[in-house]
Amino acid sequence: MANIAAKRIKREIIEVVKGEEGVLKLELVNNAWTDLLGEIAGPPDTPYEGGLFKLEIKIPETYPFNPPKVRFITKVWHPNVSSVTGAICLDILKDQWAAALTLRTVLLSIQALLASAEPNDPQDAVVARQYIENEPLFELTARHWTNVYANGPTVVWEFNQKVQTLLEMGVDEHNARVALSTYNWDVEGATEQIFS
Amino acid sequence: MSADSDMEYSDNDGDEYDYYGEIDDCDMETVDQSKTDPEYFLFSCLRVEEVEKLLNESIELLSNNLQITPSLAKVILHAYEWNAQEIINRYKENANEVLIFSRVKPCVPTAPGTSTRTHCAVCANMPPLQSFSALTCGHSFCNDCWSMHFEVQIMQGVSNTIQCMAQECEVRAPEDFVLSHVTKPSLRERYQQFMFKDHVKSHPQLRFCPGPNCQWIFRAWVRQGPRRVECKGCELLTCFSCGAPHHAPTDCATIRLWLTKCADDSETVNYISANTKDCPKCQICIEKNGGCNHMQCGSCRHDFCWVCLGDWKCHGSEYYECSRYKEDPNLASDSQHAQAREALKKYLHYYERWENHARSLKLEEQTLASLKSRINQKVMAGEGTWIDWQYLWDSAKLLKRCRYTLQYTYPFAYYMDNGPRKELFEYQQAQLEAEIENLSWKVERAETTDRGDLENQMDIAEKRRTTLLKDFLDIHINNASSSKI
Ligand SMILES: [Zn+2]
Ligand SMILES: [Zn+2]
Ligand SMILES: [Zn+2]
Ligand SMILES: [Zn+2]
Ligand SMILES: [Zn+2]
Ligand SMILES: [Zn+2]
Repeated sequence: MANIAAKRIKREIIEVVKGEEGVLKLELVNNAWTDLLGEIAGPPDTPYEGGLFKLEIKIPETYPFNPPKVRFITKVWHPNVSSVTGAICLDILKDQWAAALTLRTVLLSIQALLASAEPNDPQDAVVARQYIENEPLFELTARHWTNVYANGPTVVWEFNQKVQTLLEMGVDEHNARVALSTYNWDVEGATEQIFS
Repeated sequence: MSADSDMEYSDNDGDEYDYYGEIDDCDMETVDQSKTDPEYFLFSCLRVEEVEKLLNESIELLSNNLQITPSLAKVILHAYEWNAQEIINRYKENANEVLIFSRVKPCVPTAPGTSTRTHCAVCANMPPLQSFSALTCGHSFCNDCWSMHFEVQIMQGVSNTIQCMAQECEVRAPEDFVLSHVTKPSLRERYQQFMFKDHVKSHPQLRFCPGPNCQWIFRAWVRQGPRRVECKGCELLTCFSCGAPHHAPTDCATIRLWLTKCADDSETVNYISANTKDCPKCQICIEKNGGCNHMQCGSCRHDFCWVCLGDWKCHGSEYYECSRYKEDPNLASDSQHAQAREALKKYLHYYERWENHARSLKLEEQTLASLKSRINQKVMAGEGTWIDWQYLWDSAKLLKRCRYTLQYTYPFAYYMDNGPRKELFEYQQAQLEAEIENLSWKVERAETTDRGDLENQMDIAEKRRTTLLKDFLDIHINNASSSKI
């Protein structure tokens, strides 16, 4: 690992720890400065409120001249985040990256993305479609995911029950949730898709 | 007729006459090809040094006129597609606008020295003040960081579009600034090579020959419709307008559709899951980073869709069309299935013929080689001279040319609407097919220097080919409106 990258990372961890937001966390996964774990709090007044979201951060050899690779570890239901891989569609992680940007800015930008979805520039087409066609259902689904995967406070009993129904048919829990979310919580549609 | 309007740009050095590599000993009268050849197109084939000279002329013109460094002139020329005269005019009207458009200057002036900067925001070091530098935007970073930044960018193939390191700053680093921070000779050389390539790519009068490892560069003045250029080095026929293999009578948009379709249908799965694709605008290879379908090319900054390679701008509301298309086959009802089967049948019909001519053309290379040795043997055995057998050689060349045109009639026909025009087209196509099969048979069996019969056949075949092109090659319509660059 290049000297400059290590030095930057050290400073960036301190910057986040000192930061007064109290909504960000950044720590090393190993001693090599290449893998970090980030954590952001779901922004208030959003379906992600109260949840804690973990992020995998990989630092390339050429950091900070190339962007870090960041994806959600915690499963998220959001138009700009892949519900499957956690990949994030965010310009500063691609071509709008600038060497002067920091991981703190990156984490804050991801947090801001949770608060303001860009359904016209989607990462996950299924989620984006739901967002556009049925926003209340999207919100409830996102809240449910936040509850199940990110320790959010809102329990959606109806959705839990539907997942349970599929569990009893022998479907894996996460697959059941994805299928139900995709089919707007229509048990029949989800079942059909899983068993076809 | 189409070619006439091209002639105004002509300096007619006769070089361009040798399109298909016909043997050069032209004792015979030179025919005005612009009259007889519907594909006639004026162009030249230049060496790297000649193009460098050409570019330098523009750079010098601009830097003298505007009293700016050649490095800045390059940034501006690149942004304005090398239209020096337009730049000079606009500069006189509003110099600031030109500088901002070219990203020589930031669009909003940077707030002057918000802090007495002691540490570099990129590396967190605190080097002495004199080892900081900045572009016109005033974003100051230490020289070590600039060097690293440039090294990383150059290694990724970026040259003209390297930007400032500050967040949301799009000011571009001119050549002299970059080179003052890059010392490694290999890296400097790489940078200048990329720079040259980028200049050629951004210049509307220039196009690299796409032949493998080929160094030649085409120059022409019209960039619209199918425009045949032939490389002096590798003899490849290319369309100057779009860079695809020359494709008359099919137009540029159609051939792109067709070639994409062929690639898609052969290996649909492979194609979609592949991790690299070429930028649809500048053709640089781009690796998919993560799962995001909104791609931006690091080199030309073109935004496009990974799935359909279309412009991202039209994906805002239409994204769902883009993804739904791939999903549809599963939902299709029976009658749609039948339709799909029908569509596939139609496609295969044209594809098989297209593919067959492509294969034949490759074989034709071998035919030419064996024909050459056959003629040599005859000449050695005293059966006439090369001049006597010349007609045979010419006819083989003609055969190749006809096959080439025929190959590209299939995508044309595939996308044509049904009706009398298509019927006429397919009639002419069939005529040409028949004629070249005749010719092919005769060439392979020619045993005498008696040229009469074969020459007659050649004449008919070439007439059929040019008729088809004259009737269906649409470039003369565009010629009037095509911009003179
Ligand atoms: Zn620095
Ligand atoms: Zn700047
Ligand atoms: Zn070539
Ligand atoms: Zn073309
Ligand atoms: Zn590009
Ligand atoms: Zn698309």
